[in-house]
Amino acid sequence: MTASPASIVLGPGVTEIAGAPPLVYRNVDLLGRPDLPDRRFNLVIEAGAVVAAIGEEDSGIEALGGLALGLLAPTSGSVEVFGVPIAQLPYYELLAFRRRVGYAPQGDGLLQNLTLKDNVALPVRFATDHRLREVEARVAQLIDDFRLRAIVTLRPAQANEEDRRRAALARAAALDPKLVVLELPFVGLTSRAALDLLEKVSRCDDGSRRAVLLTSRDLTPSVRGLVTRVVRVVDGVAVEDKK
Amino acid sequence: MLGGLARFVLRAVRAAARLTRAGRWVMLRVLINQIRFTALQAIGLVAFLAAILAFLVISQSIRQLGRFGAVDNLGTIMVVAVIRELGPLLTALIVVSRSGTAIAAEMATNRVMGEVTALEAMGIDPYIYLVLPRMLGAIVSVATLMVLFDAVALVSGYVAAATSGMALSRYTAIVLKTLSAKDVWLTLVKGVFFGASVALFCSYHGLAVKAGPTEIPQAVTRGVVATIVAIFILSAVFVVVAA
Repeated sequence: MTASPASIVLGPGVTEIAGAPPLVYRNVDLLGRPDLPDRRFNLVIEAGAVVAAIGEEDSGIEALGGLALGLLAPTSGSVEVFGVPIAQLPYYELLAFRRRVGYAPQGDGLLQNLTLKDNVALPVRFATDHRLREVEARVAQLIDDFRLRAIVTLRPAQANEEDRRRAALARAAALDPKLVVLELPFVGLTSRAALDLLEKVSRCDDGSRRAVLLTSRDLTPSVRGLVTRVVRVVDGVAVEDKK
Repeated sequence: MLGGLARFVLRAVRAAARLTRAGRWVMLRVLINQIRFTALQAIGLVAFLAAILAFLVISQSIRQLGRFGAVDNLGTIMVVAVIRELGPLLTALIVVSRSGTAIAAEMATNRVMGEVTALEAMGIDPYIYLVLPRMLGAIVSVATLMVLFDAVALVSGYVAAATSGMALSRYTAIVLKTLSAKDVWLTLVKGVFFGASVALFCSYHGLAVKAGPTEIPQAVTRGVVATIVAIFILSAVFVVVAA
C-alpha cells in the first residue's frame, strides 16, 4: 500500500491521515441493537474542540470511551481516531496508537497498589523511551500542574474523590496527547473543581487547545462555559447538538 | 488450554523485548518486591521444613539401614531422595501455596477491578507490567530456595546422623561419594522450570477471570492445582531426562 508523505502507515491496511479530525463516530450502534438501524450515532470532534456528550444511563454514552480507545469494536459503522479506523489495528499497533489518546475511564481506573505518583508516572515510564530523569521531571511537572504535591504518596483508597480524579486526569494528560476522552469525569466534584480540572486537561503543554470528548449526565453552567459543543444522546442517537 | 498457555508464554516473551528504559527500572522494582515476598519471606519456612524432613529421613534411614549393615547407602538416600527429588518438590509446593495463590488472586483482582483494561487503554502491555516481573521473580526465588533447602537438609542430615553416633567425617564422606555436580545444576534447572510454572499457571488463570469477584477464588484454585500437576509431571520428566 502506498501512503502520501503526510501519512503514516500504522499496520497492514491502516494509515494515519494527516489533518484528519481527532475523533469521528460514523453510524455507530451504541446500544448493541442491530435490529434498530435508525439508532446510529454520528459525531465529528474537530481539533481543539471540547465536546460534551450528555445522556442518561443506557443512553449509549457509556460506550463512547471504549470505542474511541479501541477497547470495544463497533458492531456497525466505524470509529476513526486521527483518521485511523482504530478497531482494525493489530493488538501491538493498537497499544502504541493509544498513547496518542489520553483516557480517564469512569470511576478513575487508578491501580490500587500504586501511589498516586506512580499512577501518574505509569504511561511516561512504560509507554515512552525517556531517560529516568526525564521521566521524573515530567511526572513532577504533572504533579504540580494538577496540584497533587501534598498527596502523591497516598494510594487511591487513601485519597478523596477529587484527588483521585485529579490523579486520573494527570495520567490522561501525561503523554501530552492531542485528544483526551473522559468518562463521567465530574461525578462527585464541586463545579469549581470540575471547572479547574477541565481547564487543565483541555490545554496542551504548548498552551494550545486539545480536543476533548467528555461524557456526563449533565453539565453545570460554569463547566458549560468551557465546552464548545454539547451533544445530547438519547437511545444511542445524538438528538441535540448545541455549539 | 494448552494453546492458550502457549500464546500466554509467547506474549510474555514478546513483552520482554518491548521494555522501555524507564520501564526496566519499574520492572526491576516490581521484581525485587516479588523476590522479597516469594524468597526472602519464605526462607524461615523452607529452612524449617528442610531441617525436619532431612532429620526424619536420615534418622529413620540410619535405624533401618543399620539393621542390615548398609549405613553407607545413607548418601544415596540423602542425595537421591531428599536433594534431588523431595527438596525441589517441597520447595515448589511451598512457593505455590504462599506466592502462587497471591499471584493468581492479585491478577484476578487486577482484571476484575478493570486495572488490566486501564493499562491497555494507556498503551501499556499488561504482560510487561504484571506477568514478566512475577515470572522472573518466581524463577529466581524458587531456584534460590531450592539451593537453601539442600544446604539446610545436608546440615540437618548430619545432626540426625550425629545423634545416631556417626562422625562428621564419615557422614561427609558418605554424602560426597553420591553428590555430584549434576545434582547442583539439576537443582538450578528444576528451579527455573518449577518457578516458571508457578508464575505461568497462576498468572494465566488469574488473568483469565472475566465475570466478577466470585471468580477470584476459583481462579486461585485452578492456578494452584494446575501448578501442582505441572510440577509433578516435570519432576517425572526430569527423572527420565536426567537418567
